[in-house]
Amino acid sequence: MTARIDPDAEWDAGDMGCGDLVLELRHRIARLEPGQVLKVIALDPGAPADMPAWCGLTGHALVSVAPPVYFIRRKAERS
Amino acid sequence: MANKFCVSLTHSKDNTDKATVAFVVANAAVGSGKETLVFLSVEAVRLAQKGYADGIHEEGFAPLGELMANFAKAGGTMYVCSPCFKKRKLDENSLVAGASIVGGAKLVEFLSDGSPCVSY
Repeated sequence: MTARIDPDAEWDAGDMGCGDLVLELRHRIARLEPGQVLKVIALDPGAPADMPAWCGLTGHALVSVAPPVYFIRRKAERS
Repeated sequence: MANKFCVSLTHSKDNTDKATVAFVVANAAVGSGKETLVFLSVEAVRLAQKGYADGIHEEGFAPLGELMANFAKAGGTMYVCSPCFKKRKLDENSLVAGASIVGGAKLVEFLSDGSPCVSY
């Protein structure tokens, strides 16, 4: 059984993808406090590959993946 | 892993598909925390002129002007090839946000520490 995650913010990205998706994601994560969680709904077919890659590049934690829903925890320090 | 990323673009209205995708990829790089440069040369230097990208809107993508504005707003840099710009007699006082006219040495400097570069 998966633990329930209560996000601090939610964003429905719709079919936004590639550069548009991660650029807006960067802005939205930056608005959170370190440790807070953003729930993202991303329908783009590239999102299942891009979201883990983006988290790996930026250092934010992808704490749950169930496409099209992703939970990302903001890293400790400011990016 | 290099913390820089370069996108080299040589097209504008002669290939709006390539011009658009170049900025989509550049936005992916800057959105991923990379110090990102778009190097505009050959026909792409026209994009550095205010208003030139207006009306370029590839199906399935955001308008090119919006992609470029988002890129600059996120901290992305555009280097504009000086001889390409001069050859086309463009106006250096009418550059879009984030653009600056440079010679080849600035591109070499940016790439010299091993930055990757993709070309369109």
